[in-house]
Amino acid sequence: MINGVKKVATFLFIFIIVAISVVPFLWVLMASFKGNGDIMSSVAGFPNGLRFSNYQTAFKLAPLVTFYKNSVIVSLLSTALNLIVFSMAAYVVVRCRFRFKKPIIIAFSLALIIPGAALLQPLYNTLTRTHLYDTLTGLIIVYAGLGMPTTFYIMMSYFKTIPYTLEEAAYIDGAGFFRTFVQIILPLARPAFATAGVLQFLFCWNEFQFALTLTGDKMNRTLPIALYYFKSSFASDYGAMFAATVLVTIPSIIIYMLMQKQIISGLVSGSVKG
Amino acid sequence: MRKKNKWISIFLLPGVSIFIFVFMLSILMLVGTSFANWTIGSKITFAGFSNYSTLFTEDPAFIKSMMNTGIWIALQATIHIAIGVLLALLLAKQKWYTSFVRTAFFIPNIISSAALGMLFLSILNPQFGLVNNVMTKLLGEPFVQNWFMDPKTSFFSVTMTWLPYAGLVTILVMAEMASIPKEVYEAASIDGATSMQTDLFVVLPMMKNIIGTATILAATSMLQKLDIIMMTTGGGPGVRTMNMPMYLYRTALTDNNYGLANAQGVILIFLGLLTLITIRKIFKMDQED
Repeated sequence: MINGVKKVATFLFIFIIVAISVVPFLWVLMASFKGNGDIMSSVAGFPNGLRFSNYQTAFKLAPLVTFYKNSVIVSLLSTALNLIVFSMAAYVVVRCRFRFKKPIIIAFSLALIIPGAALLQPLYNTLTRTHLYDTLTGLIIVYAGLGMPTTFYIMMSYFKTIPYTLEEAAYIDGAGFFRTFVQIILPLARPAFATAGVLQFLFCWNEFQFALTLTGDKMNRTLPIALYYFKSSFASDYGAMFAATVLVTIPSIIIYMLMQKQIISGLVSGSVKG
Repeated sequence: MRKKNKWISIFLLPGVSIFIFVFMLSILMLVGTSFANWTIGSKITFAGFSNYSTLFTEDPAFIKSMMNTGIWIALQATIHIAIGVLLALLLAKQKWYTSFVRTAFFIPNIISSAALGMLFLSILNPQFGLVNNVMTKLLGEPFVQNWFMDPKTSFFSVTMTWLPYAGLVTILVMAEMASIPKEVYEAASIDGATSMQTDLFVVLPMMKNIIGTATILAATSMLQKLDIIMMTTGGGPGVRTMNMPMYLYRTALTDNNYGLANAQGVILIFLGLLTLITIRKIFKMDQED
């Protein structure tokens, strides 16, 4: 009897958890294929076939192609910059002894606990003064910086697992510091790069508040801002709004499905160290 | 050796530059101008603690935003953790659906919160939203509820956009549970413990540190919640769903009162530290390692 109750409770709990996670997305996905009339009249019903007219409208109403392009550029370049710069820093911090090592580690880890909102105005000000406001370059640099703590920790903990003898052997063979890093360490650290890279890419792809604050012109905005656009300017064309939501969401979900293992191991190592 | 020192500098320089550009300059500016009168176009003049005293004595909206943030931190640190940990314990028994449930539960954590806000705006829409529609069918009469704009339900509705999604907690706890040796479970069952007793008295105490970490992450995430509030209510109706990041955004980028906004930023960072230290104390996390 008690066992039965426990089974039912477990089933219900898990059912609700899955439903609240998946239903909103599936519902919007379905609605994105419905005509405006259907959206109002058959709210929970299935769409009649795959009509892409909402997607066409979405692309007409907002400069989605530009937003998409910007998102891809910003996410890719910022991820590259973030990985290169902070893997180098992490390598030096793990392998070398130098005077400012402790302060650098402490300063980098303190960055982790700074709430993003606190940085909005200062960064807006810095970017305006350096003429990087409303540029993709500005966003790329800011994102690379904001993603630093996670990348830095993932890289540090991975570099620590690489035996030093490999580098010693390289030095004896006459390779310099830089060559050893590029030819020995980088290939070995590929899994760590994958993990940190996916996390950084997803962060850039999904980021909203800095994109909204640090860009102003339509031509320099990223995909999540498109949704804000639809919410305020085209609030009556629900079909297009649903289509835009799907367009923002799908890439994240696909990347997640493909790279689940890396994402999870990254989140685990990143948060535990933090 | 000198050559190596050169390389150390070269390797550190880009990272440290970006760190200075994004974090250090910002924090210096934040703290400095929090003691200044600085609105758009005006000269920056020293103002002592006046921004802070304004916030705490003459600004009911700020107090409200702090209270809301506090309530949300408390909810996140309790219900969120409870849901996440419970699911981790259930899924750890490795059923056929384990990986499916874990994957599905994590989806809301992986998509843009702007999109998540949009999803909720849609399913709770008064005209075509799924919730009102299902309620209408269940009740047999028109069910009308403007979830985000009605002062009675707005706080609850905003809370629902993140409170159930404890996917990160589940993943962290499951990862930690995977490291428990089998012998621990065997010993417990030899001692005659039921699986529920094992979970409660053996597994959970071993999870203390990771649950503490998860609680810190969950609680401090409430000091970051801006996008989903902007997408759904913008802090309204009135200031009913206002939280600190949203209010800071409004002060800085709508009212252009930078000095006042940066004082809020300092308070935000301070609260983050306070939350971190408090939770570490509660979970006695500083005693180990």
